[in-house]
Amino acid sequence: MGIYDTPLGRRDFLRGSLAAAALAATGTLGACATSGTGTSTQTSAPPAGQVSDTNPFGVESGSTVEAVIFKGGYGIDYAEFAGKQVEAKQQGVTVKVTPTTKVAQTLQPRFVAGNPPDVIDNSGAGLIGVNTIRDQLAELNDVIEAKNYEGTVIKDTIYQGVTEPGTFDGKFIVLNYVLSVFAIWYSASLFEQNGWTVPKTYDEMLALGEEAKGKGKYLLGWGKEAATYYQTMAIASAIKEGGDEVRLALDNLKPGCWSLPPIQDVFNGLKRIIDAGYMKPGGSGTVFTAAQAQWSEAEDFILYPSGSWIENEMKDQTKSGFKMTGAPEPTVTSNSKLPWEALHSTAGEGYIVPSQGKNVAGGKEFLRAMLSREAAVNFAKTKLASTIVKGTVPPDGFGSTALQSQIQMLEAAGSNVFSWTVLNPADLYGMNTDQLVVWNSFLSGDSDVAELTKGLQDITDKVANDDSIKKVQVS
Amino acid sequence: VTTLTGGELTSGVSAPPGGLRRIGSARWRKRNLTFDKITFFLVFLVIPVAFYLAFVVSPFVQAAYFSLTDWTGFTPAMNFIGLSNYAKLFTDDTFMQAMANNILMAVVVPIVTLGLAMFFATLVTVGGSTKGNIRGLRNSSFYRVISFFPYVIPAIVIGLIWSQIYDPSAGLLNGILTRLGLDQFTSFAWLGDPRTARWAVMFVIIWGLVGFYMVLFIAAIKGIPAEVFEAARIDGAGRFRTAMSITIPLIRENVQTAFIYIGILALDAFVYMAALEPGGGPDNTTLVMAQQLFTTAFTKGQFGYACAMGVVLAIITLAYAGLIFAINRIFGGKSEVGE
Repeated sequence: MGIYDTPLGRRDFLRGSLAAAALAATGTLGACATSGTGTSTQTSAPPAGQVSDTNPFGVESGSTVEAVIFKGGYGIDYAEFAGKQVEAKQQGVTVKVTPTTKVAQTLQPRFVAGNPPDVIDNSGAGLIGVNTIRDQLAELNDVIEAKNYEGTVIKDTIYQGVTEPGTFDGKFIVLNYVLSVFAIWYSASLFEQNGWTVPKTYDEMLALGEEAKGKGKYLLGWGKEAATYYQTMAIASAIKEGGDEVRLALDNLKPGCWSLPPIQDVFNGLKRIIDAGYMKPGGSGTVFTAAQAQWSEAEDFILYPSGSWIENEMKDQTKSGFKMTGAPEPTVTSNSKLPWEALHSTAGEGYIVPSQGKNVAGGKEFLRAMLSREAAVNFAKTKLASTIVKGTVPPDGFGSTALQSQIQMLEAAGSNVFSWTVLNPADLYGMNTDQLVVWNSFLSGDSDVAELTKGLQDITDKVANDDSIKKVQVS
Repeated sequence: VTTLTGGELTSGVSAPPGGLRRIGSARWRKRNLTFDKITFFLVFLVIPVAFYLAFVVSPFVQAAYFSLTDWTGFTPAMNFIGLSNYAKLFTDDTFMQAMANNILMAVVVPIVTLGLAMFFATLVTVGGSTKGNIRGLRNSSFYRVISFFPYVIPAIVIGLIWSQIYDPSAGLLNGILTRLGLDQFTSFAWLGDPRTARWAVMFVIIWGLVGFYMVLFIAAIKGIPAEVFEAARIDGAGRFRTAMSITIPLIRENVQTAFIYIGILALDAFVYMAALEPGGGPDNTTLVMAQQLFTTAFTKGQFGYACAMGVVLAIITLAYAGLIFAINRIFGGKSEVGE
């Protein structure tokens, strides 16, 4: 800390320790600081290249497109593939694909400095809350209105409603690329062996729990980081039961939204299952992948609510002969507003194009390539998941039962496909961390329905009453 | 600003020695500023201070300023909003709970860790046979080495190892307990039960650090002349009395430093929590301020508010250090036994 002429004396030592304390304290504090705030708020320049049918955004020849891709379960090779497509179609354009595992931490300084990449896959646990950067993103309407590399307008090639979760206050700014179907997943082979049928209501679930218990298995299980998968299931069930009114109340953070009768009915249904002891205990202390392996490998429990990424996620920890199959989330009663077949489906892997990027046109061109047939088929084939582009998965689902059932569920649901904006999985206001706590104690059986409702309502109210958080109006 | 300061200082003192000698004032001559001395100051004082200003003080000041704004963290734009972040902070029950958790940890972890470390250090240095030379237990060097092992493992790895050990269904701990016939521990979630989570986590931190502080104390005790212990023994002091009346007073300053370092660690604890309880634990019983700060900044996009948390954390840390000094004073730190 300094130079002392005398041997280290007590006073000096004291001074040294204080400085050390201050130093250590700033470790955390310093994390908040920036490296200078560049105030370049350049408006996106008009396209520099020639706009044409084959180059709808006017990407300049010789320019570089910088894509930062979240490297999670899907890797980045599919994005590199799309980059190659861009390079092949647009002469002289180079695409640089960079992986990241922590999107917000990596890109935060670049947003502040005003030089973000041209296109970002804003996904994973460390994603940037879209609400904070909404004003800095380019609208992507022209991307889906453009023609793909095969000459068809992109809008006509994608599933219905997939742009809605990426639309905020009427502006379409997040292109969610991967189609996720939310369902309860089970092993068709195990069910067949035991003569079980998929439960369509919470009462049927309870009955199945009894049968599973007879075979020494639990009905359901969870992991501590994924306790809110049950919230996702509960909301889906409640929306099927009570219709749009439930969705709007939750999305717009209405006071008392968690006390709506359909939601309460679902919570009570879950509570009966928990109280009957059909939930594998210990989930609140189990890492979620370990918990999922208890389902897919050890078959300790037989049903798991999750998104369709589950197959890819558990690829290496799935028992052979485990025919992973999905079924729509249960309803409360058999005369619900939406039929049981109605499906909670939304798209994930949110791609954004910052409007301050150097090559906005290039960023959009990259998305156009991803939405074209070749890249979309490549994704479906290598990742065993469908993109938002229709018809890329053959009926045999590339040999995957989960993918087959996903397509079947989508077909059976028809136009009854719904999603919501604010809560998990989109988690617009970053409430998931707080909700996990409440759900973990509910699933452990430590809290009752009233406490769960109050806990969730408090979290919602806190956001609703905080004026510093910009709200999205959902209709 | 900091670079400027550094530049001025550098250009001021790096002039050739001849130039300085020509200043010729009595004061300069008296201080005898030779080239050696100047370069010495430059290398060991000016440059570190410049670095300190640039990389420690300036972020500190910046963060303190940001805490007074509504900065989201992702734009250059921010509005000055005065102290309202702090007002919000002290009514935020989640943050207050995190603070309480941290304070509990800053009390329990140092006392238990250093107590154990002191106990073991005494045993392996002066706690041996009461006949002959002052020495530790037999094979003490072996104990010294193995007790240091946990410290060699990075904290994040320790966290991951223990999260596996604590696993309710496949973990080592419940495996042993149920094998012993304690069936109530079948699928017991050590990290998922509000009654056990914070103690389970603190145990891991203590387990990881005892070895290091033990080695620190051993080094300090080795610095005490053996005659002091011999004299105490001749006066009839037993092991416990020797530890309380000779060892601890003589290494008082080391204990104080140890308290400060481990206290700071307990007030942070981010790494351990990131591995063991990334979500804040059951009912937020293991949530720490640093975790809450991180979520607020990066997930919720409220950097201004997160900076306010950082400032509060820094103040608490400084207050903690001050408290340790005060306690040391009260209990006779002034009597300067060590010097």
